[in-house]
Amino acid sequence: MVTLFRPGDSVWHRLAAGPKAAILAVLVLVVSLLPLGWGWAAAVIPAAICLGCYAVPGIGMLPLAAELLAARWIILVTLAGQLLFLGPMAAAVNTTRVAAVIVVAGLLALTTRVTALLDAFERGLAPLERLHVDPRRVALLLAVTLNTLPVLARAAAQVREAQRARGVRPSLRRFAVPFLVLALKHADELGDTLTARGIR
Amino acid sequence: MSVLELDAVHVRLGDADVLRELTLSLDARTTAIIGENGSGKSTIARLVGGLVRATSGTVRVLGLDPVREAAELRRRVAVVFSNPDAQIVMPTVAEDVAFSLRGRHPSHPERVAAALDRFGLSALAEHSSHELSGGQKQLLALCGAFVREPELVIADEPTAYLDARNAHRVADHLFVDSGHRLLLVTHDLDLARRCEQAVFVAGGRVVAVGDPVDVVAAYERSLVW
Repeated sequence: MVTLFRPGDSVWHRLAAGPKAAILAVLVLVVSLLPLGWGWAAAVIPAAICLGCYAVPGIGMLPLAAELLAARWIILVTLAGQLLFLGPMAAAVNTTRVAAVIVVAGLLALTTRVTALLDAFERGLAPLERLHVDPRRVALLLAVTLNTLPVLARAAAQVREAQRARGVRPSLRRFAVPFLVLALKHADELGDTLTARGIR
Repeated sequence: MSVLELDAVHVRLGDADVLRELTLSLDARTTAIIGENGSGKSTIARLVGGLVRATSGTVRVLGLDPVREAAELRRRVAVVFSNPDAQIVMPTVAEDVAFSLRGRHPSHPERVAAALDRFGLSALAEHSSHELSGGQKQLLALCGAFVREPELVIADEPTAYLDARNAHRVADHLFVDSGHRLLLVTHDLDLARRCEQAVFVAGGRVVAVGDPVDVVAAYERSLVW
């Protein structure tokens, strides 16, 4: 789920959140469980599923390209690791599968309002109440996680800008410490906001 | 009914005594709390909002104990903070406002639409909350607070991050009488003068309470340049 909701009127937008999540989960499972022994077919089928999912009126190839671009580092790291240890065939198949899983799962966030996702998760998790799992809390965790991504991206950009402005040479440690401080500060403030809005 | 009753309230956070034996009774519709950084103003706001517990003493907000009657307090009191980014919970403007009503009001689409209209956000309803300007984000935070029709709004430096135009817009919304009481923590002395009552806090203690013009004057005299 790299990108968040984009308004639209595609068949995916019109599907209710619950059935849509179930269909996408099945597609993700199919992509994940394709046997490697099928050779190139194990790469072509996931790619075809991706194209099929996005090639519907109201979505199209641009959002697919944006999802792939956003996931480029995961795809590149997967490809490099697989090439190094498993060879070109397995690398192509497995990387295509990873990319397909990301973009197919991304359709859920892309075409479903977070409110609808929250409702669906609350309904889906309702039976777990007997096991003392609070469905509202789990659903809220999902919503807050999705919504925190852009905030953390902005915090990361702020840290990089501040360091460039002071002429600091980039390094993981110099980036991680202030980023972590900003992230924790945001978590504190968000906690206060949720408490103030009546979430305990 | 008093908005706020504090009786010998002491708040200790870590090693610091942030509020010291504070006794205060507020009943005006709009009250400003002023003082220097670190004086304890925000801690009073957080105490009233139920976000901080008193180490000792008695706190009553709208007649409620913020600890024992926390759920009731949440229904009747809304809090607006200074950092607009930290107040956004949902990805779109309309969803963020609706989040405030989640599980409380079955007919919330109409209330959300009315609140968006009141705060001039209707045209941005489907817009990403994170892509709003600072002023629009703070208006969204106010909208999310007011849609619940709270009896008391606590605003902790709500204009601190805003330019003059947006600060005026936010302040005007806060001061419009929609049946709510306002507890405003602020460094903006013009805003403090707009209130019916003001409290000057220093070193965790109340220095002056009363007419905002007199209290602001007392605060200005205390400043050593």
